[in-house]
Amino acid sequence: MNIKIIARVLGLLLLVEGVAMLLAFAIALGYKEYDQQAFLFSSGMNVVLGSCLVFFTRNARRDIGKREGYIIVTSVWIVFSVFGSMPYVLSGAIPNFSDAFFETMSGFSTTGSSVLSNIESLPHGILFWRSMTQWLGGMGIIVLSLAILPVFGIGGMQLFMAEVPGPTPDRISPRIRQTAKTLWGIYMIFTVAEMLLLWLAGMDLFDAICHAFTTMSSGGFSTRQASIAYWSSPAIHYIIIVFMFFAGTNFTLSWLALRGSFSRFFHDEEFKYYGFFVLLFTGLIFIGLMLSSYVGIEPAFRDALFQVVSVMTTTGFTTVDYLTWSPVLVALLFGLFFFGGSAGSTGGSIKIMRIVLLLKNSYHELRRMIHPQAVIPVKFNKQSVDVKIITNVLAFFMFYFAIFGASTIVFTLIEPDFESAMGAVATSLGNIGPGLGTVGPAENFMHINALGKWFLSFLMLLGRLELFTVLVLFSPSFWRE
Amino acid sequence: MKVVIAGAGEVGTHLARMLSNEDHDIVLLDDSPEKLSIISGDVDLMPVTGSAHSFQDLKQTGLAKADLFIAVTPFEERNVLACAMASYLGVGRTIARINNSEYLMPRYREKLSNMGIHELIYPESLAAKEIVASVKQTGTRQLIEFSNGKLLLLGIKVRENAPILNKTFEELALENEHFLVVAINREGKTIIPNGHDVMMNGDVVFFVSTRNEQQRIFELTAKTTFEVKNIMFLGGSRIAQKSIEKLGDQYRIKVVEEDVERCQLIAEKYENALVINGDCRDLKLLRDEGLEKMDAVIATTGNSETNILGCHLAKSLGVRRTVAEVENLAFMSLAENMNIGSIVNKKLIAASYIYRFTLNAAISKVKCLTASEAEVFEFIAKDETKITQKPIKNLDFPSEAKIGGIIRGEDAYVAHGDTQIIAGDKVVVFTLPSGIRKLEKFFK
Repeated sequence: MNIKIIARVLGLLLLVEGVAMLLAFAIALGYKEYDQQAFLFSSGMNVVLGSCLVFFTRNARRDIGKREGYIIVTSVWIVFSVFGSMPYVLSGAIPNFSDAFFETMSGFSTTGSSVLSNIESLPHGILFWRSMTQWLGGMGIIVLSLAILPVFGIGGMQLFMAEVPGPTPDRISPRIRQTAKTLWGIYMIFTVAEMLLLWLAGMDLFDAICHAFTTMSSGGFSTRQASIAYWSSPAIHYIIIVFMFFAGTNFTLSWLALRGSFSRFFHDEEFKYYGFFVLLFTGLIFIGLMLSSYVGIEPAFRDALFQVVSVMTTTGFTTVDYLTWSPVLVALLFGLFFFGGSAGSTGGSIKIMRIVLLLKNSYHELRRMIHPQAVIPVKFNKQSVDVKIITNVLAFFMFYFAIFGASTIVFTLIEPDFESAMGAVATSLGNIGPGLGTVGPAENFMHINALGKWFLSFLMLLGRLELFTVLVLFSPSFWRE
Repeated sequence: MKVVIAGAGEVGTHLARMLSNEDHDIVLLDDSPEKLSIISGDVDLMPVTGSAHSFQDLKQTGLAKADLFIAVTPFEERNVLACAMASYLGVGRTIARINNSEYLMPRYREKLSNMGIHELIYPESLAAKEIVASVKQTGTRQLIEFSNGKLLLLGIKVRENAPILNKTFEELALENEHFLVVAINREGKTIIPNGHDVMMNGDVVFFVSTRNEQQRIFELTAKTTFEVKNIMFLGGSRIAQKSIEKLGDQYRIKVVEEDVERCQLIAEKYENALVINGDCRDLKLLRDEGLEKMDAVIATTGNSETNILGCHLAKSLGVRRTVAEVENLAFMSLAENMNIGSIVNKKLIAASYIYRFTLNAAISKVKCLTASEAEVFEFIAKDETKITQKPIKNLDFPSEAKIGGIIRGEDAYVAHGDTQIIAGDKVVVFTLPSGIRKLEKFFK
């Protein structure tokens, strides 16, 4: 194990986080609020510690193997959350460290669950930092570093694979650094576009920036306690729906579309299924809402579409407390907790591609019952999918539900209400945000005890890195020489 | 530079790895997703699954924007066709791997060039050339000729009886100004020596010299040359066949080959070779066929282990010259320490041959030094380049590299600190991989 290179990479990334904090510091300065010192001090701490690590490991060997890759990626997310929670603690916005860590991990993992009960009272610097953690976590800390730091050389590949596992990796260009740059470029373009549109639609500039950050990362932190319901303008709702949808689309496809090849975009099988699921669930919930005599056709449609897209892309914004809907609609929406965005998007959870592969494979099992000798390859985008990928997807599915089940049971010890426990676990593992019962859209996570918060934080990390990268650290063969 | 490589076989993956580590953008095309997923797991490149002779798949690799297309699939006709198609799709330059020396003939070259096949590489032929050179040049581990032998590079293993042992290179240079030590290979590591380094027992030392002076080097290293007459080939692979063809009639050649059909073929093709059908690991058979009476044993079975063991056995029986084909790169340094004479590796030979096309400077020859990391380049010094501005000692030349000698018109010189390179000279330079990029700016 090459400990030195692990320390070196962590040091470099701390420097990146320190610089990011300076942006929040600038906001705090601009608004002349009490959180200035907190940001200056946190940033300073990151820079000093980061520089020390980088300095003392300057003679580290450059090779980053598979093991080092997994350790680096997992520990980066933890270290980022520990240091990222400093501004909350130091400024007094969230004085308790457990709470602050939960909030930060919820940020970086783009979950969007919050412990805050009076968001509007917070200074702008803190609100900006809260949104920024999601934006940095959305495309991935490692992907960002690959794009801006030229130091990774050969090892960058291992890191990229560990952070962006996905069923089938897309490569936009021969160099991993170029791929990372392109992905961040598209991410930036979408963010800026959304910010401008929200601004034009009547949000003030600060809110527009923060919401653009948390929409494109499919995060779901809002600068308002009531989330998007604070704004009644349909235009704002629709703009956010469109960009949530893009955030849940494979960024490689968006890149192809931006370059003008729309046919690839619309003929992509995963995209078709993604669109189909959105329409299907919106339709069902819309009908359900109409039957329960909801106010007006357009608001019913808008609320149905917004909630469906928000949950499916694992963003977690809400324009309405869906727990007030009839139980069957809540059940439908809870089912969506296990869908997620497309592979290669910022959305979390299981992801459409895995769902589709599983459905196809399971359907083929039925055909194999009738024709035992038949050779039936699972096809995706008109190409047969390697058996290795299918087994990987099956293992992922197995792990996902085993973890969901076991965690729910464990969590009922902490949160006695079964429905709330299930909701809290599903929403953390899927990086969504709001859950069910006492952690529903109108509630927050403050009342859960410290142990419970650490537990949910761990589930968020697990979900964000798509299980395997974290789980592999727990396998004995990983540590055996 | 963007390079598209078709064929993820041994040569293809080796090239891809090497070029990717040098910061070139690599796209690797192969029809086997398994092969691609293995290499793309640890090399930064873009894998594309597809056929090398499909327009659609070639387009997928972004050929139109690529500078170099290298076709190294196992099939010659596919490589040639792929290069023609790649040229049509707009790639800058194409290289095809071939298995047929007919294509190398000058009269067909223009035809091929018109079809869009710019360079040809025949790894077996290149390996055979090295084998023949080492048979003809006894005493050296490796011999590379520059400009038809005007300047020579001799790699010699120095043993305890050599008079020049334990002298610093500074002393050596003062006593002998007609040769220069440019690199030493010690315990698997390659060193570009400075004046204070000392020659030690067991080093493989690379000298640059002229043909008239090589006898002096043999004296100083206590090497005696001898005439090779009897040669045994273990294994009748394509490399062996090509070597037999190049060796000609003046040798007595025995070939031991396991496969009956191949024995038939070799026996029909090469009249001067006695073909024995049998296993190369059969000691009794080898003894019966007079292994210990051979002047040279060349092991070219498809199996690196067999080749290493065969040469080891031959050496221990007193065969003075052995050459082993070792394709497994991990075995190279191991084999080097096992006292089995020279080693050839067709992957490295092919890779360094192709390597020059990725450099911007004008290069007329590239060779890798066997079992070491160093490469030797023959650059052409152009007008206005940095290398022609000052004498060598004032050039601030990178420490990973060393200028061995220059060839000016009909004459060759060993380089000294005061030597001034002028435009039109061919400059022989040795370098470790880390120095290659730094060299480029001196010749561009």
